[in-house]
Amino acid sequence: MAEHYSSFARGGTSWLLQRITAAFLVVVLAFHFFLLHFVNHAADVTFLGSANRMAEWGYFVTMVLFLVTATFHGVNGVYNALINQGLSGRGKQVVKWVLVVASALLIVQGVRLALALQGGVPA
Amino acid sequence: MSRASKGYDRGVIEDFGRWREFSAGMWAWIFHKFTGWVLVGYLFTHIAVLSTALTAQSADPATLQAGEDTFTQTIQTLEGQALVRVLEVGLLAVAVFHILNGIRLLLIDLGVGLEAQDRSFYASLILTGAIVIASVPTFVEGAF
Repeated sequence: MAEHYSSFARGGTSWLLQRITAAFLVVVLAFHFFLLHFVNHAADVTFLGSANRMAEWGYFVTMVLFLVTATFHGVNGVYNALINQGLSGRGKQVVKWVLVVASALLIVQGVRLALALQGGVPA
Repeated sequence: MSRASKGYDRGVIEDFGRWREFSAGMWAWIFHKFTGWVLVGYLFTHIAVLSTALTAQSADPATLQAGEDTFTQTIQTLEGQALVRVLEVGLLAVAVFHILNGIRLLLIDLGVGLEAQDRSFYASLILTGAIVIASVPTFVEGAF
């Protein structure tokens, strides 16, 4: 059987952005797990170690992009899954704006903590 | 129009009373949604825990050097619990499956491997299992 199952309407902007962020996240999520569980053991993570990693601009930018794309991909996935399960009308509008606000708060908080770590290496 | 974009009536897939009728593609879709919900839930939790960095940044250099700041202490306390380590193995399983099945979905969307989509789903499951089992020693080291 060659049917393709998805919560997304193929060809739309939401579908395309979900695929573009997916291609980025596949690589960065694997890198994140590998770096923080195999190269560095999670139990050995410290503020100074994290601050030293974040002091590298390439790492900092990658992590902020990781935060933004993961938030979009996750929230867009949840939203489309709910629509696929029949969410419509006023409920759809309420869920949409709750997710938009939650995403904005998550990104702001994530950037704040990334900046705290980046500036955390003692002079 | 490719076969992949052909419309069809799949009924209410969330009705698990129909689980015996589910094909490999339907299971892949359900697993992808379930792992997606777990990952987005974890993302919010992860940022909340890491937010202890906002308090730790004002600690003096000696406290940071000794690892006695809020951030380090929070992470090391959590990592010291066996339950957290087991949950992390579960998170790894969820993330690896979502990544592998995600690659499978990207390829299918590009028209690659649609006719083998059931076999590539089974391959995603087997590879996830193999990676998770191989990673267990690293994840639980020092916790038991």
